[in-house]
Amino acid sequence: MARSLPLTVNGKSCPLDDVPDSERLLDTIRWRLGLKGTKEGCRSGECGACTVLVDGVSTLSCLTLTHEVEGSALTTIEGVGEEPTGRAVQEAFARAGALQCGYCTPGFVMALAGLLRERGRAAPTEELLDDLGGNLCRCTGYLAIARAVSTLSKEGT
Amino acid sequence: MSGPFVFVAPPSVDAAIAELATGAPGEVAVLAGGTDLAFVLDGGRAAPRRVLSLRHLPWRTLDWNGPVLTVGSTLPLRSLEQDPEVARRHPGLVQAVKAVGGVPLRHRATLGGNLGRAAPASDLIPVLLALDAEVDLVGPNGARTLSVDRFLISSWHTALARGELIRSVRFPEPRPSAYLWQRVRPSNDISQIAVAVARSPSDGGWRLSVGGIPPRAVRLREPESTLRSASPSAPAVHEAAEAAARSLPIAADRRASEEYRRHLVATLLERAVGTVAASPDGGR
Repeated sequence: MARSLPLTVNGKSCPLDDVPDSERLLDTIRWRLGLKGTKEGCRSGECGACTVLVDGVSTLSCLTLTHEVEGSALTTIEGVGEEPTGRAVQEAFARAGALQCGYCTPGFVMALAGLLRERGRAAPTEELLDDLGGNLCRCTGYLAIARAVSTLSKEGT
Repeated sequence: MSGPFVFVAPPSVDAAIAELATGAPGEVAVLAGGTDLAFVLDGGRAAPRRVLSLRHLPWRTLDWNGPVLTVGSTLPLRSLEQDPEVARRHPGLVQAVKAVGGVPLRHRATLGGNLGRAAPASDLIPVLLALDAEVDLVGPNGARTLSVDRFLISSWHTALARGELIRSVRFPEPRPSAYLWQRVRPSNDISQIAVAVARSPSDGGWRLSVGGIPPRAVRLREPESTLRSASPSAPAVHEAAEAAARSLPIAADRRASEEYRRHLVATLLERAVGTVAASPDGGR
């Protein structure tokens, strides 16, 4: 069974038609909305590559049914740079060269943008890094990511 | 891919109970945060005909009534861990909550969902046992309350009757408490062994529990009584932890050997008891 559902995507109203009840938010984003910046890693909540913001809160899109977020405001990596926190995270990652293959990067950026929205820049680097523990970089390029994080926290600025 | 099911999100508690009661067992799956349910739907381990979302129910709550903390079953775990009063009065609970998944997962995962799933490796159940938590249920025949110990029957199996939902989880009193775990990866992984320790300020008694061992987390009543003396000595704590590690039914699986698990039980218990004993109200 399918029906329509209202959704705001990166600031634009984007009602969706005929979304199957079992569809995952990750698949809606990538295949229905065509926003391929959000990555599918493990599809089981272990890697964080599919992280997006739902009403400003970081969420694993692979474990979320699209109908469960009906009426919400969704932010993906394509739209996060439109607001200051997201832009600051993107710039910090770029300055620190915090990527290797790049596959995990959108998930890290979204998770960190969500954290900074939640906690503000007063959060210590160590706590931010702890709170990013759900994101995996399979290139193991964590040092540069940690550098980017440190420039965004209290101690770094 | 998940099979075809109908997604329903009832607007009220009554509507949810009515919806739930219409299905045969296994036909309706309840979705609180959905972080575990989505996973089993993908793997085909569950094939419900309907998925019942609790998102419109007014249960995203956190209330203190004197010493009693009541957590609504659909409150995201992240909200629980960020509450400063909960962190101060129930440190072990917050440590356990932070052991679940990662932050984006905890933005959706819930206490009610974790308890209702009754996974053998749940990171929350051991501390619920150590805090003598109670679970408030609502169903077609009204409300009832069970201790978490009675609510849990076995792996993936609870005392929830047909048509019943978990409304909230209640913690009777703040307790010095600690939750310790061992696993391969800190986030988004399953504990090989986890222990929860608490000490009741009202009766002075210890509560010890161990999780990560099927079929379900258990209270350790004998070591608890061994520790009953006002301030247990380090050798007594060591001996109680070792005895617990020897006596538990523990098996090997792909996550850890039996020997390693027994070692973890003893080590983590001893550390957790030490932590609680050193806290302001724990040493008494």
